[in-house]
Amino acid sequence: MSTQRMTRAQVPMEEMILAPGSTCQGCGAAMAARLTFKVLGPNLIRHGIPCCPDHVTKHPRVGAVFEGGGASLTGTSRGLKAIGRTDVKAVGFFGDGGTYDIGFQGLSAAAERNENILVITKDNEAYMNTGGQRSGGTPKYAETTTNPVGPNSRGKNEPKKNIPMIFAAHYVPYIATASVAFPEDLMQKVMYAKDIEGFRLILIQAPCPVGWRFDPAKTVELARAGVQAGVWPLYEIEHGTTFKLNYKPKELKPVSEYLKPQSRFRHMTEIEVNEIQANVAANWQRLLKADEMKTVVL
Amino acid sequence: MHGRGGQGAVTASRIIATAAYEEGKYSQAIPMYGTERRGAPLTAYVRIDDVRVRERELVHNPDISLCFDPLISLQQAVANDLKPKGKVLLNVPFTPDKSELAGDIEIATVNATSIALETLGRPITNTALLGAFAKATSIVKLESVEKAIKKYFPGRLGDMNIAAVRKSYELVSPWVTAKNKVAPKIQVDLNVGGYGALKDVSSWRVFYPAINEEKCIGCKTCWISCPEAALEWKANNKPAMVDRACKGCGVCANECPVKAIEMKRVEGA
Amino acid sequence: MSYEVMVGNKATAVGCKLARVKVAAVFPITPQTTITEYLSEIYASGELPGFEFVNAEGELSSQVIVQAAEAVGARSFTCTSGPGLLYMHHPMQETAAKRLPLVMAVVHRSVKSMQPDHSDLMSQQWQGWLHIYVENAQEILDTTVMAYKIAEDKRIRLPVAIGYDGYVLSYTAEPVEIPAQEEVDAFLPPYKPMPSILPDQVDPKTFGAGWGDGDPMKPWQLHNEAALNGETVIKEVFAEWGKKFGRTYGNGMIALYRVEGADCIITAMGTIAGTTMAAIDKLWADGKKVGLVKIRSFLPFPRKDFQEIAKNVGAIGVFDRSCQPGMWGPVYHQMRSTLYDEDKKTPVIGFIGGLSGKEVRVADMYKLGEKTLKVAKGGKPEAPIQWV
Repeated sequence: MSTQRMTRAQVPMEEMILAPGSTCQGCGAAMAARLTFKVLGPNLIRHGIPCCPDHVTKHPRVGAVFEGGGASLTGTSRGLKAIGRTDVKAVGFFGDGGTYDIGFQGLSAAAERNENILVITKDNEAYMNTGGQRSGGTPKYAETTTNPVGPNSRGKNEPKKNIPMIFAAHYVPYIATASVAFPEDLMQKVMYAKDIEGFRLILIQAPCPVGWRFDPAKTVELARAGVQAGVWPLYEIEHGTTFKLNYKPKELKPVSEYLKPQSRFRHMTEIEVNEIQANVAANWQRLLKADEMKTVVL
Repeated sequence: MHGRGGQGAVTASRIIATAAYEEGKYSQAIPMYGTERRGAPLTAYVRIDDVRVRERELVHNPDISLCFDPLISLQQAVANDLKPKGKVLLNVPFTPDKSELAGDIEIATVNATSIALETLGRPITNTALLGAFAKATSIVKLESVEKAIKKYFPGRLGDMNIAAVRKSYELVSPWVTAKNKVAPKIQVDLNVGGYGALKDVSSWRVFYPAINEEKCIGCKTCWISCPEAALEWKANNKPAMVDRACKGCGVCANECPVKAIEMKRVEGA
Repeated sequence: MSYEVMVGNKATAVGCKLARVKVAAVFPITPQTTITEYLSEIYASGELPGFEFVNAEGELSSQVIVQAAEAVGARSFTCTSGPGLLYMHHPMQETAAKRLPLVMAVVHRSVKSMQPDHSDLMSQQWQGWLHIYVENAQEILDTTVMAYKIAEDKRIRLPVAIGYDGYVLSYTAEPVEIPAQEEVDAFLPPYKPMPSILPDQVDPKTFGAGWGDGDPMKPWQLHNEAALNGETVIKEVFAEWGKKFGRTYGNGMIALYRVEGADCIITAMGTIAGTTMAAIDKLWADGKKVGLVKIRSFLPFPRKDFQEIAKNVGAIGVFDRSCQPGMWGPVYHQMRSTLYDEDKKTPVIGFIGGLSGKEVRVADMYKLGEKTLKVAKGGKPEAPIQWV
């Protein structure tokens, strides 16, 4: 598990981003990019596929087709090995589309082959770059442009895919979840993952003011609410066996604190909110148990 | 038609096209933007004719230029390349004689932002400018604009928008010949691409972070939360806004544990 | 130099080894599967030090993997057939757009069946690659090595697809001469990426370059030019191979068989060209002077060569082993467009055959030769395009 403890004072001052970027005001993905690349240093080749622009960074960049994230990282990693330059890291910074859906196959295969690659996913829970259509990362009841609320629909009908657990079930060296509201925890995890060999995936929740429909000033506040309500738990899994829950408040905040400020959930009835609350609470119990046993069953 | 992503410039272009069609004219509305980006400048183009519009190139030499955003209205780019005696209609809180836009043009103004805030409760200025457009140019009639609006905004929302339209119809200024004839050499480029690092996003700000150094405890929460690294950390352990990088999102003010940052409205916004 | 009786697919693998391929990413599909197995054996045996072998989970990923490996500076290879090539369609275009000198073997499998025809590679004409069609196992081995030299030439810097027919070539054994590694090393220098994307070699001024800057037509013009440069570079490389290894394949773009003194010619690509040579011999024996021009490079098309040849023949019979529904055969159209502006109007007739693996026999090509000869002598063809 990530062992380095970083304090606010130890956060590197140097920026690896070329700011300002072209994201919307208050973009969670821009925050995720800034923090991630602060601790990864310059000696990497950054891979991108179609997604929101987050930030240009001071790294050589390889682009690939939308479904090609896992494969292009594989090619770079193998190519670097073949030319004797394993000092250079192959790092991908992808969105939820390129991780959960169209990019899933390639990443799953790269994980199954335990390719030596670091994948960081900034999850804004929909295809935001094309205007906010639903993805496999969209949570239940969220309204998006392709599952709008109407007499025949309550928004997305299905739960969010559990990507961290799915990839942990590939028994890869390191899987972690992170949040822009917990920047030191995020950076610690990135630093830890950086030097591990094999397939590593860090999933960062990146709240999107435009798509989730909230005041852009509240991006970090909402990300925090998500963690504190148990909707976005912070944990690490190594080799699909050892488990650690990083943030364990004595009591979870109610999910309504997380859902209410977001207009994508504004249509939800009390019954639906209670449903989500019950699911989150049950999942939290499972995670507490896993943390106690220091293992997951996958 | 110039505006920002999220201000409804594209919808406005379609409303005008619909209004023209209501009067038996042919129309065409072309939006021009990259990927979806809230806050970034964008341009829409409208053609109105008595016969079916066939050409599909962008409108490079407009008869009329509209601008929905008060800050973009200060940029010379909205007044460039118009036909001689072209007309520029701006959403700004001042009269046309105070505009610095240059060229062989006439300028009219209306404070669409405050009309929108009054009638709609939000600064979405597209419809609030269309009433002014109808009165000032006579290209479409007020009733046609209202009919078109009802198609895009049904029910109560439609009524509120019509109130905005009627108000700006009353309040739009007369046309005034521009006092400056020659455009400045240095101009802000309004064609913001969908990707890449940008030079200057100060025009995106409607609010800016006002920092109270006395209250500030130097915890760096604001600095670490900024999505654009738009707060530099000074030698005296306090933050300062980086003018070209701050989009005015307000995260820093929201996160500051001692409320040492206040989001203040930009002058003229 | 040694020799071995080997199947076409093995010749591909041996070619890769001689070319010192560093990364291969593959996925099995009939009739290309055994290439993936030969490559895996090369990896397992350790006989190619530093070779990275990736069992990809699909052809699309295979293409992206080798595309990335080429970009970072590793000479790479992949292969596929039919539907596998169609699956690669999306990223395949980027390999060319990014100007990466990848080499890929396309073991022909029809898009409509498991048997060979040229519809798979022909359906990818638009991807911006160079297309070379080969006829026998020796040609596969030689062309695989040469393809890297062609692709990596700075006048080209485009990927090359080498097409050869499934079953009758991929799984058919023939004697193949294997050149010595040192001789191949002298012929084919190591690959250098252009530009390098390693962090300590990249130009930081290129960070943050806007998307879609500049004249939108320019990348197409440059790409078009580079593909056309294929004609010059292919001829040079094949000439050099001929000198060093003693084997020539015409001028690289085309190979002539008994065209000298012929009244007319027929054209064919791939294994059918070989079959046609037997038919040509029979035709001459029967007093019918028909020559064969084997087309090796389909893209770029041998325009100059055919404009020259057309001056001296009375008709050209073009054999297409693919049919684009609604538009007939691609080689037929290229030929007619190539000769349209010439002073002498040479009749060009088309034949479509061998689709979905239908066997094309010596007798079929003999008939084709007769029909073309009839037109050369002033007769009218039964139809401008005939189904064989």
